[in-house]
Amino acid sequence: MAQPPDYRTLEAAATWFVQLNAGKPSDAQLQAWQDWLGKSQAHAQAWARVEKLQRQLGSLPADVALPTLAGVRARRRAVLKTLAMLLAVGASGWAVRESNPAQALMAELRTGKGQRHKVMLSDGSQLELNTDSAVDIHFDGQQRQLRLYRGEIMVQTASDPAARPFLVQTAEGSVRALGTRFSVHSEDGVSRVSVLQHAVEIRPVDQPRLMLRLDAGQAVRFDHRHIAPASAAAPGAGAWTQGMLTVIEWRLADFISELRRYRPGMVRCAEGIADLRLSGAFRIDDTDTILENLAASLPVKVKYLTRYWVSIEPA
Amino acid sequence: MPAPDHAALHALYSEHNGWLKNWLRARLGNASDAADLAQDTFIRVLSARNVESIREPRSYLGAIAHALMVDKFRRKALEQAYLAELASRPERMADSPETRLLILETLVAVDTLLDGLGERTRQIFLAVQLEGLSYVATAERLGVSVTTVKKHLIRAMTHCLLLTDD
Repeated sequence: MAQPPDYRTLEAAATWFVQLNAGKPSDAQLQAWQDWLGKSQAHAQAWARVEKLQRQLGSLPADVALPTLAGVRARRRAVLKTLAMLLAVGASGWAVRESNPAQALMAELRTGKGQRHKVMLSDGSQLELNTDSAVDIHFDGQQRQLRLYRGEIMVQTASDPAARPFLVQTAEGSVRALGTRFSVHSEDGVSRVSVLQHAVEIRPVDQPRLMLRLDAGQAVRFDHRHIAPASAAAPGAGAWTQGMLTVIEWRLADFISELRRYRPGMVRCAEGIADLRLSGAFRIDDTDTILENLAASLPVKVKYLTRYWVSIEPA
Repeated sequence: MPAPDHAALHALYSEHNGWLKNWLRARLGNASDAADLAQDTFIRVLSARNVESIREPRSYLGAIAHALMVDKFRRKALEQAYLAELASRPERMADSPETRLLILETLVAVDTLLDGLGERTRQIFLAVQLEGLSYVATAERLGVSVTTVKKHLIRAMTHCLLLTDD
């Protein structure tokens, strides 16, 4: 039987893995790695362990595994609280999967990449979080406020007997609902709002007197000081709530960067193919299939180095 | 050479099983858990195939039983944290019981792997490997350089590879 790989060899395998995942490896790097792999049985064996470990980690759903591993100790109190809830709900089962009275349970709602989450708020309004989003709910006697820290939400407001205003606050400003259905997306210093029903009022955080009323069918982007001119909301603007991504004549690079919102890890698009165009409706719950099908509709090939490192290249 | 091992194990078992069960019951406060863990301890001894070279049987058995107790609590803590996470993500409740068990097993394995790592190394490893963050994003989040991120990753990865079977 061959000797198991020693520490030095395992460290070398780990170093290769870390280097290859640092970005797009050059052909020379890949060749050097291949050479290293072929040099001895122990090298191949060490790399097999790398792959085994990656498979093990890859089998964990990141959205659940991360907080579980990160907070096993710190979360004792929260655990007890939620377990009590689990027991209380246990009797009726999880039939009420889609709407979940959230307010009593947790101050903060979060989704991981590729996750969506729908909750009913205490006033009967519906809140839906898209992938990789974080929201705090602050309802008091004066107002109903959601704080969107990251990501995208769809809100369908219910009328409030106490007539409290309904506001979505982002880092860039506030969106006040006027009895309505609308989505807000906040990322990298820009908020985007699309209105599906009725209207909202938008105020940038540093220019609160600069108010824009946005009506159904319109969309707008704003930052902390400016509001861009309103445009027509994109067809399929709220399609994500149905798990769909609808695009018409999008650049491949834009499509891939949209896909990155839904998929953990890196997806890279080679420069030569960034301007290819594509249209279609895609199931965002299954980005693996989307990537697989890209090669069928465009002159590209999809290369996987690991589950977290995907590269789209000219075919 | 299974035969001599078995004879030695039998001697070890009949001489110390009662003591071990009492030892465990005193710590777990529960006779049936204690009996289960005592059983597991002897299975561990059997699979280590070194019964004949044991000099201090009770301290040896106690050490194994202690490690098993720690595993059991680790597993329980993880299981609770996992259930809590599931509860806050209704869409995950659709996972089958088999899937959940598999995930829990893997969580225990990964948590055990990460046990010997420092907090910073663990954070970096989880951010990159599970969260899928880029090295640059991880470095920014933790306020360290990309080189530092890589160094911690290599350390964590080597550590995990050492503990991974072929």
